[in-house]
Amino acid sequence: MKQVPDPDTPPSAFHVDESANRVVPPPGTPPVVNGFDLNATEAALLLKDAAGGTDVEITIIAVGSEFVMDVVKRPLSMGADELVLVDDPALENLDAFATARVLAKTIEAQGPFDVVLCGRQASDWDNGHVPLVLSELLGFPCISFARNIKVTDSGVRVERSLTDGYQVVDSPLPAVITVTNELGEPRYPTLRGIMAATRKTPTTLSLNDIGVTDGDVAASLELTRLFVPESERRVEIIGGDDEVDAGRQLALRLREENLI
Amino acid sequence: MTTNIEEARKQILAMVREFVDRDVRPAAAQHDEDDTYPTALVDQMAEMGLFGITIPEEYGGLGLDHSTYAMVFEELSRGWLSITGPIGTHSILAHALAHHGTEDQKRRWLPGMATGEHRAGLALSEPGGGSDVASLQTTAVKDGEEYVVNGNKLFITNGREGNIFFLLAKTDTTIEPQHRGISGFIAEKGPGFTAGKDLNKLGYRGVDTTELIFNDYRVGTDNLIGGEEGKGFYQAMDALETGRVNIAARAVGVAQAAFDDALAYSLQREAFGELISERQGIQFMLAEMATKIQAARLLTYDAASKKDSGDRFDLEAGMAKLYASEICAEVTLDAMRVHGGVGYIKDLPLERYYRDAPLMIIGEGTNEMQKLIIARNLLKRARAKG
Ligand SMILES: Cc1cc2nc3c(=O)[nH]c(=O)nc-3n(C[C@H](O)[C@H](O)[C@H](O)COP(=O)(O)OP(=O)(O)OC[C@H]3O[C@@H](n4cnc5c(N)ncnc54)[C@H](O)[C@@H]3O)c2cc1C
Repeated sequence: MKQVPDPDTPPSAFHVDESANRVVPPPGTPPVVNGFDLNATEAALLLKDAAGGTDVEITIIAVGSEFVMDVVKRPLSMGADELVLVDDPALENLDAFATARVLAKTIEAQGPFDVVLCGRQASDWDNGHVPLVLSELLGFPCISFARNIKVTDSGVRVERSLTDGYQVVDSPLPAVITVTNELGEPRYPTLRGIMAATRKTPTTLSLNDIGVTDGDVAASLELTRLFVPESERRVEIIGGDDEVDAGRQLALRLREENLI
Repeated sequence: MTTNIEEARKQILAMVREFVDRDVRPAAAQHDEDDTYPTALVDQMAEMGLFGITIPEEYGGLGLDHSTYAMVFEELSRGWLSITGPIGTHSILAHALAHHGTEDQKRRWLPGMATGEHRAGLALSEPGGGSDVASLQTTAVKDGEEYVVNGNKLFITNGREGNIFFLLAKTDTTIEPQHRGISGFIAEKGPGFTAGKDLNKLGYRGVDTTELIFNDYRVGTDNLIGGEEGKGFYQAMDALETGRVNIAARAVGVAQAAFDDALAYSLQREAFGELISERQGIQFMLAEMATKIQAARLLTYDAASKKDSGDRFDLEAGMAKLYASEICAEVTLDAMRVHGGVGYIKDLPLERYYRDAPLMIIGEGTNEMQKLIIARNLLKRARAKG
């Protein structure tokens, strides 16, 4: 799970610090849990519901810094069992590879598991790399864009969303599965869940605790330049002899610009 | 680790805000127009646990403080006033039971009320009068292990959808002062107890407000709240104090919604070649609206926190209810002014805010009655000082 700037913040409110290659969110707007990660939480809860609520334990893992407690506890309020935060200032601006390495070590430190669920991508950079690298590091299959997950005798059966339909794949477990919003709206937390969550203390781990080295968090990607592209808005009123002619002129003009 | 109330409150409000923006606001206009009950929204609220916010934890509720409750009401009303209806008077019976009920009654009713399985209402006002509670006409005559109830109640929110009611009826019609003859009952719908037709209201639409008819309705003595006759007036007045804080919170929420829309509109509407927000006439309105809302909010939170700390708060609750409801009516009208003609058209929610506002002036004790309560408290304090 990733804590991200609220994607509903208007883009104009963000400031791009070009000298530091950083995006600065507007001060005073609280972060949120990445939306697809709530879909992944919902997927986990559905698996737990399907298993009758017993014998399934859901651990939420987040890697980062400056966690806002009432934000990151949201999956707990929805019904997850445990929250593990790897909290270190060094983790503020990791690339996908470093994040996946830290996650892999954190996951391995938790003991055996059946499935790792991730959001399909994070709304801050929309890269969607972490789960793929993570599955590689863990050595398990990766199934992306899940819109439905069922546990079967031999593993899982997953419906993968495609642009023109969906694909059904079977996979052994353990596996890494990325979840898409087509899975359905994540449930609201309940007041009871919120109260229970506030009583839970997350497990907070340092990089040392899980044996992460400087090499692990070293960047593999270099961001060379971050800037807001200049954009220009031009309006052209297209007329014609009558409505039909105006439509024709519009179509011609759009073709001229290679837009249709 | 003990519950961190601040953290819980933040999460709860964030959840309610999301529910309001995602589900309530988009559905409100149609329900308001058609006057249809928002069953799906109310069921969702029950699932979230909103019916049990203030019910003590040992009886299946959340046991949260009244400050949190007021903030939840404010947030819900920002979406649509009517959505607070099903939990408003529900909480009044819950309060009466939690504070005045017998242990048996608490165990029997509160857990079901916390989940929303029991949905409650307040059956106090009558065709003959709402302000003058002491003169109510409904009677409950003891007959063995039962009371036989006869009379009519009017303007009862949740009258059709609710299944249990905080019923105020006279068990003694001769005693002086009259209010000592009033007893409080938990009345379940059944033979002899029916709801009349829904009233067609100016605002607060979608939620059912009806007449209730008691015709030789039999209620067990174990449904007499606290097991004691003659205590109903006090039980109701005590619970209504918290109700007034909720009314104030609702008024703040509706006013805030109107203000938010007005502010946003002023930043996009141009007149005479300039955004209207550049005009001092509009700026003055925005400044006054925001100031009034904040003052009302602080009065509301102050009353709620007095309640939470266990102090008397009838004066504060009265002031909050009076002020918040009056400024709500002013602000909703001003928000319409800022919008000009389009504010008067049903495509925007401005006219709904404006129609919803007067309920807070009249309901849960009219503002004239609030002024009487406020003045009575002020005079009592002054006299006590000598
Ligand atoms: C939409 C809606 C929902 C409601 N829901 C409920 C509910 O769930 N349960 C319930 O029990 N009731 C409910 N009510 C009733 C409401 O509480 C009463 O309408 C209110 O208390 C006023 O009573 P009344 O209508 O009989 O007016 P009256 O008491 O007849 O008052 C008429 C006018 O006289 C004024 N007045 C009365 N006495 C005095 C006085 N001593 N000094 C100065 N002025 C005075 C009043 O302020 C008012 O202006 C609801 C009302 C509405 C409109």
